[in-house]
Amino acid sequence: MVFLLRRLGFYLAAFIAAATINFFLPRLMPGDPIEIMFSSAGAELSMENLAALKLTFGFVDGPLWQQYLTYLQSIFTGDLGRSIKYFPLPVTSVLGHALVWTIGLMGTATIISFTLGTFLGILAAWRRGSVFDIVVSVGAIFATSVPAVVTSLIVLFFFGFTLGWFPTGYAADPALDPAFTLTYIGSLLYHGVLPMVTLCTVLTGGFAVTMRNNMINLLGEDYIVMARAKGLSDSRVMLWYAARNALLPTVSSLAIAIGTILGGSLVTEVVYNYPGLGNILYQAILARDYPVIQGQLLIMTIAMLVANFIVDVSYVLLDPRLRGA
Amino acid sequence: MGTLVRSLIRNRKALVGMIIISVIVLIAVAAPLLTEYNPAARVGRPHQPPSAEHWLGTTRIGQDVFSRLIHGARTSLAVGFGAGLLITALGTALGIIAGYRGGKTDEVISFFTNMVLVVPNLPLLLVLAAFIGQASPLVIAVILGFTSWAWGARVTRAETLSVKHKDFIKSAEMMGEPRWRIMTFEIFPNLISIVGINFIGSVIFAIITEATLEFLGLGDPKTVSWGMMLYNAQKASALSVGAWWDILTPCFALALLGIGLSLLNFAVDEIANPRLRTGNRLSRWTTLIRTGEGRL
Repeated sequence: MVFLLRRLGFYLAAFIAAATINFFLPRLMPGDPIEIMFSSAGAELSMENLAALKLTFGFVDGPLWQQYLTYLQSIFTGDLGRSIKYFPLPVTSVLGHALVWTIGLMGTATIISFTLGTFLGILAAWRRGSVFDIVVSVGAIFATSVPAVVTSLIVLFFFGFTLGWFPTGYAADPALDPAFTLTYIGSLLYHGVLPMVTLCTVLTGGFAVTMRNNMINLLGEDYIVMARAKGLSDSRVMLWYAARNALLPTVSSLAIAIGTILGGSLVTEVVYNYPGLGNILYQAILARDYPVIQGQLLIMTIAMLVANFIVDVSYVLLDPRLRGA
Repeated sequence: MGTLVRSLIRNRKALVGMIIISVIVLIAVAAPLLTEYNPAARVGRPHQPPSAEHWLGTTRIGQDVFSRLIHGARTSLAVGFGAGLLITALGTALGIIAGYRGGKTDEVISFFTNMVLVVPNLPLLLVLAAFIGQASPLVIAVILGFTSWAWGARVTRAETLSVKHKDFIKSAEMMGEPRWRIMTFEIFPNLISIVGINFIGSVIFAIITEATLEFLGLGDPKTVSWGMMLYNAQKASALSVGAWWDILTPCFALALLGIGLSLLNFAVDEIANPRLRTGNRLSRWTTLIRTGEGRL
């Protein structure tokens, strides 16, 4: 319990650090910070709205610490300001809408690659040195060392443009209205195939290698030898004795993956014009929509911290040795 | 040193990796000799397919793709190795100091290290780059250096802790060697494999991240680099107009360089830790796939 509370304190500090970066960045840049942040707003903002935005980001008359407190206060009350590009939508609703798409796409991709990667890793470790092991290991090195932007573009080129099997952009056919119908869901799945394939290619290798190495470390343990000596079947030893224990460190890489999916799918979303968080961030950068850009950093930091906290909790639950501490 | 080089040559992965990297470095160095075209100038008609005149075709505005590719290699390599060096230097120094000094110093450094590790790297870089505006390769390298050292610091600290209690450190302390000397001449040489792995990993990370930031439109448009090639090709809708040479060329170059560096990294690890060669060949590799950082 004390362990978890200490972690919570640390995460709070990390979150405030991210907020502090957001606060100081515009002020550290040469020139007028208000000019930098809101110049692209132009005539679209009325004086009244501009004043409200300034207040949200702590541009109040007063010393720096007072501005900083004003900014922190607006963050902790959940006010991230309004988007300049999509004015008058608040940043939270712009991001909230995109979050659903990102979680749908990346969540599915993470589950598929975690399951696939883990099984590939288990089998590769079990048949260490075999052709299967070499193919998995070398394939994983290649898949993880090629930048995601390259993987995205190559997949898009071959399956989207050259072969023309799958659509090359958007989350669903733009002509269809979002509705809970078979046509719409079908279109959704059809459009999701290429981004999904790309993300799974990028993610699976890492999970496979982690699992394989954890397994190999465990295969020499006495309790594995014991299980074999008892005459248990191969698959039982592999899955219930080795894999079960090797899974523990993999949980941490899964949670970190969940934390980074929000930022990690950025390039893929941009290439496939998928309406998730990454694409929103990209559009915001192009439009210099600073409230949205800054809101993204906070949202992604929170996602990362929540994921880390889940790892902490799951470790306490999964590893009895930690429970006493 | 001699043994290291000999083992590297004997290792097949290292050999392939080194050949790939050497070829890319040679081409980058000799770039002006290999092509007569100025990489930034219009030298042909727009979007010409590969031909004898333009080996890899031309871009939307009529620049020679081959010339841009080999000149761009210089930028990618410079940013990669420059930022890699900075990341490794910072990470190693902080890691050794935290691990060896312990106490309050360790607590402060570890706190910051852990904090930097949980703030997601790519969004942070994007926010920084967005405020800077059009970031030149030098600016990108410096930002990368100062935001990405945390992983190296954590790994180096852990290794330092395991070396610190060895007898030769104790005897150096007894003899009254100053602390900086113990850290640089007693501890550092024993961490050389982890430092090397950190360095190559950081180079890969820097090259990928530079290309990603530029692809997303945060680079300086005047730069000739693989990331800007991707950005310009994407902006010119190269794929939908069928100009595959424009966009696939930097793609394959980045993939090749990434694979070359990874193979080398993998091999250095095997050589530095003989135990890995026979059984646990890939264990260090896990830590190389920088969870949260490398995945862009």
